Amino acid sequence: MRTPLYHEHEKLGARIVDFHGWEMPVWYTGIREEHLAVRNSAGLFDASHMGEIRVSGNESVPFLNRILTRDVSAMPRNRVLYSFFLNEHGGIIDDLTIYCAEPGESYMLCVNASNTENDLRWVVKQNREHALIEDRSAETALIALQGPDAARILKDYLDFDPDTLKNYTFAILATVQYGDIMISKTGYTGAGGVEIFLPPEKAPDLWSSLVERGARPCGLGARDTLRLEMGYPLHGNDIDETTTPLEAGLNFAVNLDKPEFIGRETLRRQSEQGVSRRLRGLVLKERGVPRQGYACVKDGRQVGMVTSGSVSPLLGTGIALAYLDRTVEEKDEVEIVVRDRHLKSIVVRPPFVKGAGK
Amino acid sequence: MEIPEQLYYTEDHEWGELADGMMKVGITDYAQHELGDIVFVELAEVGTTVAKGDPIGTVESVKAVSEIYAPVDGEVFEVNGALTDTPELVNQDCYGEAWMVVLKVNDLAQTDTLMDAQAYQAYVEAEAK
Repeated sequence: MRTPLYHEHEKLGARIVDFHGWEMPVWYTGIREEHLAVRNSAGLFDASHMGEIRVSGNESVPFLNRILTRDVSAMPRNRVLYSFFLNEHGGIIDDLTIYCAEPGESYMLCVNASNTENDLRWVVKQNREHALIEDRSAETALIALQGPDAARILKDYLDFDPDTLKNYTFAILATVQYGDIMISKTGYTGAGGVEIFLPPEKAPDLWSSLVERGARPCGLGARDTLRLEMGYPLHGNDIDETTTPLEAGLNFAVNLDKPEFIGRETLRRQSEQGVSRRLRGLVLKERGVPRQGYACVKDGRQVGMVTSGSVSPLLGTGIALAYLDRTVEEKDEVEIVVRDRHLKSIVVRPPFVKGAGK
Repeated sequence: MEIPEQLYYTEDHEWGELADGMMKVGITDYAQHELGDIVFVELAEVGTTVAKGDPIGTVESVKAVSEIYAPVDGEVFEVNGALTDTPELVNQDCYGEAWMVVLKVNDLAQTDTLMDAQAYQAYVEAEAK
């Protein structure tokens, strides 16, 4: 599959890889340069492969409240929340953002590209409230403009200052060039900026116009190192159906006060009894590159496993997310087994670098 | 893509430069470009005896781990310690400053098994298809 921006990526000489069936740019000139562009100025990402599911009708709120971990009943218009679909055992089917277009009436869910089909099946299967569910993925392109210069670039081009938006809110902007577009003060980089939803046929023009104004095209490689530096989990790596939000330390996105939602029972129990493992940050004290699947050892005993790892382009050191036994605490020393070597690392609370552009 | 004329090449994208019975070894421009930003280089110890095809080092980019193999039989005579602190040299100057090891070659006739620049060019073009 290709996004509406595929030909833009080709024109820019991107290295294209297969990402869960999507032909996506992994980098244009290099992951490090693109990563630093987002931290220091502005970068542009094609996230059009992500899925958009619209849920509407009178029954939207009871339905969403049953399948999501957050309470959507109090969501005002133009608010965004991060949440999860959980299975009956509290495992994470997907993580997603919810956009409230019309309180009580109309919501949009933005889900991971790799999970869109599965999510749709799940949502439809759970829909005993008979809310209206529509797959809007093919009608929706998504461009993320991220970094400290993102606001200036957008303001110069569309005469809209995204700094007037609070984080995790969005606005519908009427534009001459693109019609109504949705500008959301969200992102996956920790560098500040916006995500812009618009019709696919309008996306190439917006993309090239933002590139002309200085936003650097960035591929999935930089998207991954940026999110890892912030400690944001990636579904399929750090969270999946075998892990719960509490094990992943994502308690903020779970509302246990809600009387009922799928997966609640497990989470309530974990909340009372504590979790047996936690997703933690590790910073290497020696040279090396931690990667998914590497074992973590403490006092000669395996205490966990790396779920995401890389060298932080900003810090120049190896960083990782790993599920570690509950006995391991922050500031403890843990060894990461890289091939046959045990490399020393320190347990930290992510983010690994300070975020910007709040 | 740069493929210097005077070097030998392997199918695993190492280059070798022969002088006085010694072969300086590194990875090619094609290899560094395929790997992307190199963030870690680890090399065999001086004195290690290797056969053609044995690993003599590991190169890691953000996305991938890749072994470096000996183009011929020999003994590791020297390694480029600078790459430990500045692995990015591999992206910047793969045929120059980012050489990886020097092998003392056992049998010079074994270089016949390696590709010259033209053959390597054709090999890379075929692989890229």
